[in-house]
Amino acid sequence: MVALDLVWLVPTLPLAGAAVLLFAGRRLGRLAGWLATATVAASAALAVGIAARLLDLPEAERTRVVHLFEWIRAGSFRAAAELRVDPLSVTMVLVVTVVGALIHLYSIGYMAEDPRIGRFFAYLNLFVGFMLLLVLAENLLLLYVGWEGVGLCSYLLIGFWFERPSAAAAAKKAFVTTRVGDTALLVGIALVFFRLGSLDLSRVLDPAVAALQPSGVFTIIALLLFAGAVGKSAQVPLHVWLPDAMEGPTPVSALIHAATMVTAGVYLVVRTHVLFELSGVALTVVLVVGLVTALYAALSAIGQDDAKRVLAYSTISQLGYMFVAAGMRAYAVAMFMLVAHAAYKALLFLAAGSVMHGTEQETDLQRLGGLWRRMPWTAATMAAGALSLAGVLGLAGFFAKDEILAVASGTGRGAVWALGTLGAFCSALYIGRLVSLALLGRPRSDRALHAHESPPVMLLPLAVLAAGALGLGVLMTDPRTGTLPAFLAPVLGEVPHGEAGLPKGVLVALSQVTALGGLGLAWYLYGSGRVEWLALRERLAGVQRLLAHGMYVDDLYAAAVDRPLRAAAAALAWVVDARWVDGLGNGVGRLTQALAGAGRRVQTGLVRTYALAFLLGAAVLLVYVGVRR
Amino acid sequence: MRTPVAYFLVVSAALFTIGTVGVLVRRNALVMFMSVELQLNGVNLALVAFSRLHGDLTGQVLTFFSLVVAAAEVVVGLAIIVSVFRRRRTANVDDLAELRW
Repeated sequence: MVALDLVWLVPTLPLAGAAVLLFAGRRLGRLAGWLATATVAASAALAVGIAARLLDLPEAERTRVVHLFEWIRAGSFRAAAELRVDPLSVTMVLVVTVVGALIHLYSIGYMAEDPRIGRFFAYLNLFVGFMLLLVLAENLLLLYVGWEGVGLCSYLLIGFWFERPSAAAAAKKAFVTTRVGDTALLVGIALVFFRLGSLDLSRVLDPAVAALQPSGVFTIIALLLFAGAVGKSAQVPLHVWLPDAMEGPTPVSALIHAATMVTAGVYLVVRTHVLFELSGVALTVVLVVGLVTALYAALSAIGQDDAKRVLAYSTISQLGYMFVAAGMRAYAVAMFMLVAHAAYKALLFLAAGSVMHGTEQETDLQRLGGLWRRMPWTAATMAAGALSLAGVLGLAGFFAKDEILAVASGTGRGAVWALGTLGAFCSALYIGRLVSLALLGRPRSDRALHAHESPPVMLLPLAVLAAGALGLGVLMTDPRTGTLPAFLAPVLGEVPHGEAGLPKGVLVALSQVTALGGLGLAWYLYGSGRVEWLALRERLAGVQRLLAHGMYVDDLYAAAVDRPLRAAAAALAWVVDARWVDGLGNGVGRLTQALAGAGRRVQTGLVRTYALAFLLGAAVLLVYVGVRR
Repeated sequence: MRTPVAYFLVVSAALFTIGTVGVLVRRNALVMFMSVELQLNGVNLALVAFSRLHGDLTGQVLTFFSLVVAAAEVVVGLAIIVSVFRRRRTANVDDLAELRW
């Protein structure tokens, strides 16, 4: 039995691993990967122990705040380094450590040939440490430390192959774009302090706060917190960094940009849902942004030719669904989707990485194909992930998406349900397209033809995650009495339900029609060989380009933000700086020179002139003294 | 009968004026130096005269100081003039005008 007080070890172990690897990583060589994996696995074991201990306690006692040390004390402001152990944070810790450990293990194989493997695992460990700090923090300021820490690690890992200019640029883009949201989050945290007098979650989650009158301040606070979540979770309009973030190594995409860091935004909203409920508007904003993102990204994913970019847009879309759930107060459903998504999306990314590993880093879907013969394990696990994502009956993804749509329909949000179903159809279509183009048909390049299966160290995590993607639904058999919702209920409350809309059976049937229809259409177009999809693509070139460019949002930002800023900067540089600021400096210099040039004429070098000056000076002094008398 | 103090002051002023004009119009460094001595002695004379007038020895003591300092100054000044003359073959101060703008 593990004492809950040992929770401080959970983030400390990976952080210690990162410290060791930063200094000794190069000397450890391949051992670095095993060390890093061991630290995260140990954290995962601890987390399992803590979760088991928590389940043993009666429901009312499942929240524990572990005080580590006094951190900041300044005037009335107090922030302690405290970790919060409750069902919500433990759920997140389990996701982060278990998926993290699997991805660490996978990376040992994937990064084996990389000369900077020590540094890679140091960053990866550092990321896990910060992520655990984020989800365990009792204090919003400590949460913010973790929040920025994972952002830093994301930057470092996207730009891990910084020799490639595109990777360096993508890292910068991710950092700057999320910074927009982070700034809003910091302001929101400051407002929480001004309004509630404390940043401790115990204060925020206090029933007394929930009983306050809804007011405009809380709308502003909630929207600022949500802005942070939008940046971190790549929601419209701050989503542009995530597709580019695929420049990083694939395990990084799986860990940071699918399973954990990008879900931090969802966690933040769910964690502070009390504040959102105190505002009439904020939850609606969350719902609308999530829905727009879910649809937009699902559509854009259809047009991507790069396997990883398909998955990146897919992640954006799925995160949108989580926000839709949170926006409807179905927090437990959002959390289940987060857990399920962590499994099947990490799986899909790792499978894509396995494909890249076997085909000399080929990610272009036009040049893959027919891989199931050469990489049967990778293909099987990838298909499992795809089916789960598409929402085929009984798999993890089904319970997640279906429950969101059921809540939408049940609470009378018909439009949300309809658009969500449309998004689900698109999801099935893009993931079916990905699988069909990569695995089915004939190899369309030499690399695909000579593909080879990955080593066992990479296949084992795939198998474990595939089991999760297929079977995690057991946690969510029912939105109220299922294992996970019941576990989370003391923190998050019940999932709302209603009798509006269509009956449950019809909803399930419709969701299966969309899922199987999307998959079937994708197979017919891209996998069956009966349709010349390249010809079809030519005919729909306009649509294809629109989707492939993510509806030109990047170009819009370039035109609306980037170019005006650059023009303004140029104007400032040439007019204000070169003319005015420099003019001031140069003017002072020139004036001094002129004065000095005139003044130095006094120094004639003739002794008698000086003597005359003495005399006159003495005379003046004498007169002055005389007059003063 | 004592000589009135005005007599001394007239001589003193005359000495000082001659010295001043000498410093201003002569070009030879040595002559300028001698003129400075004239100025000094003019002042010394005034000091002694006033000292006697007031029956206070302070003025005479100050004169001794002045004489000693002047002697020291002459030592340094003459040394400089000699060394300049050795180097430049001239003691004309108008020719020694390099230290200017």
